[in-house]
Amino acid sequence: MIMERIAVRFFLGFVLSTFLWEAAVAHGGVVQEDDLCVIKVNYLRAHFKIYQPRVSGHEQFCEDLPAASESVFIMEYQHDALKSMPIDFRIIRDVTGKGRFARMEDVEQLGDLDGVTVFYQPAMIEPDVFTVMHEFAEEGEFIGIVSATQLDTRKVYAAVFPFEVGFTGVGYWPFFIAVLVLLQLQYLLMSGRLKGWIKRRSPGVAAGILLCALLIAPVAADEGGLRVSYSTPAGPPEINRIHSWILHLESAEGMPVENATIEVSGGMPEHDHGLPTQPRVTEELGNGDYRLDGMRFHMRGYWEITLTVGTAEGASVIVIPLQL
Amino acid sequence: MKSTFLKAGGAVAVAAVIVIGWHVRPLAAPPWTDAEINVLRSLSLASLPELPPDPSNAVADNPDAAAFGERLFFDPRLSANGGISCATCHQPVRHFTDGLPKGQAIGTSKRNTPSIVGSAYSPWLYWDGRRDSQWAQALSPLEDPNEHGSSRLEVVAVVAGDEAYRASYEALFGEFGNISGDDPVALNTAFANVGKAIAAFERTLLPAASRFDDYVAALNTGDVKEQETLFSDDEVQGLRLFIGKANCTQCHNGPLFTNNEFHNTGVLSSPGELPDKGRAIGVREVLADPFNCFGDYSDDPKRQCAELTFVRTGPELIGAVRTPSLRNVEMTSPYMQKGQVATLAEVLRHYNEAPDAMIGHNEAKPLALGTRERRQLETFLKTLTAADAVRQFDSM
Repeated sequence: MIMERIAVRFFLGFVLSTFLWEAAVAHGGVVQEDDLCVIKVNYLRAHFKIYQPRVSGHEQFCEDLPAASESVFIMEYQHDALKSMPIDFRIIRDVTGKGRFARMEDVEQLGDLDGVTVFYQPAMIEPDVFTVMHEFAEEGEFIGIVSATQLDTRKVYAAVFPFEVGFTGVGYWPFFIAVLVLLQLQYLLMSGRLKGWIKRRSPGVAAGILLCALLIAPVAADEGGLRVSYSTPAGPPEINRIHSWILHLESAEGMPVENATIEVSGGMPEHDHGLPTQPRVTEELGNGDYRLDGMRFHMRGYWEITLTVGTAEGASVIVIPLQL
Repeated sequence: MKSTFLKAGGAVAVAAVIVIGWHVRPLAAPPWTDAEINVLRSLSLASLPELPPDPSNAVADNPDAAAFGERLFFDPRLSANGGISCATCHQPVRHFTDGLPKGQAIGTSKRNTPSIVGSAYSPWLYWDGRRDSQWAQALSPLEDPNEHGSSRLEVVAVVAGDEAYRASYEALFGEFGNISGDDPVALNTAFANVGKAIAAFERTLLPAASRFDDYVAALNTGDVKEQETLFSDDEVQGLRLFIGKANCTQCHNGPLFTNNEFHNTGVLSSPGELPDKGRAIGVREVLADPFNCFGDYSDDPKRQCAELTFVRTGPELIGAVRTPSLRNVEMTSPYMQKGQVATLAEVLRHYNEAPDAMIGHNEAKPLALGTRERRQLETFLKTLTAADAVRQFDSM
């Protein structure tokens, strides 16, 4: 029994070190993290997904694609740096012979890539989201190469990801899943977290409830001793009409607060979206009154307007709830 | 053996009763609550406010400008091949749309042709809101190589070269400046004026009342018999879903059934095209447009431009497009910004599923509506069909 456990640990340790070694030499690639497919271009990360809208509709793929069809490759940046970096995107036929284990070094050894390139998007700066499209003419094994250039240092970061188009079998997936499960188990066993987690479970639940209670505690418009009220000179707010608010700031003692800086944001928490405009305080009217212009609501329902108020005493955040 | 038969027979009978009952059960619609009636009134044309002023266009409400603009709107000489007018895609008989996935003019345009009716109420024009007034919008297709394929130089030359046009133009805007192209400001001014005349015409196009509006009027008078004549049970149920469970009025609100805002609803990309980035690009374009509200060609001396001043930017706009009006939606297929969706039934299926967006974030949530409910919604949407657009100055 003990011997078995040692053997398993030895095996896992071996797999782990191999894996780490791989990760250390690679420049970057596509990995599945939790439920998210991520491309790592060196330290720069983006949510990576591929669609085949004509054959698979809204289904997302991380690497392998079911058919030779119109394929849309999408990178949603997790690092803002990528928004301003020229990024190029190349797909080559896999002639490295390494298949799924192909790395940057293998690609570099090929020398001139033009002969094996099936798609090339020259470097472009995409401030919102990076998208390219290629219609595969045939099934087979391919390698994607993404490189991003840092403009000031001219440093080029690259990610390489081998993938199959029109894969039929299950490929290496069961092997990878098994390795991942074992690795996770190994980690949990070695770090003692599994035991700890079980032990801590009961107090943990209590702590969780406490945390939730703190988070949902009512937030009134008077945090930090500051009181805020507002009026709408053009009548009650109506949907789809741009209008102004007058904000009134008072200290806890009822004295008007002047010379405050006020930043405004907001949205509908139930719908995960913000305001349709970017309202701003445009004028201080005196006596603690501030003119807030550019307010507009585009739906009925529950809104929250968040004011970040900076005064000589410091900054406070005030949330104004609003049911329209 | 016998009891098995009996059991099976009983089960079949119960199933039959359920199935038949489901289809024929009386659907006596419960009366609307006061809150619901308020929502219904807010959707009725009777609630349509006065046309919002357009201070950037000095001739916006001038009937002579509208009459001049109408002739320009239908004039194919304002195109590279002499065959394309605004009305090629914005066809009056189709509520100013064309029935195609994407506009077909000199080439294929980028997106589905939206209606013009009621567009004077929108702070933004185009699916991606890349223009901020009807007149700035009217200029853009004239120079789009896939649409009119003309140029400001040629357009202004056609107007200045036609005796009747020249007279109309000069009565409204004064004499042409140096429109030879040597003086870009003079040329741009004349070009902008052409847009302002077209906009004065477009501004007069308002939706006609539909059966839905009549139904709300009958609710207001409390005439139950009239209500029953106007709306079937399915239409009432569809309307109830529309303002309730189906969340439609989150975006399709107000008398024009649109908030004119930008939303990502996760529609699939059009064949052969990358996913549409929508407002994320449109907002940059409108801010850079020389004919925008801040620009030199706006007639508003105060440059109030509240919408442009407080315009929203940021990642929420990725893949977001402007909510279209649902008035006459039955007559304006295909749907969505690229005309990707052919039928209303498919549109409703899409919103029912609310799949993850290819780019950005789908704001809609799955609705879990049954087939019958979707059919009722579709039935209701068809009550928004009306006669051709009403010309406001006809009734004046």
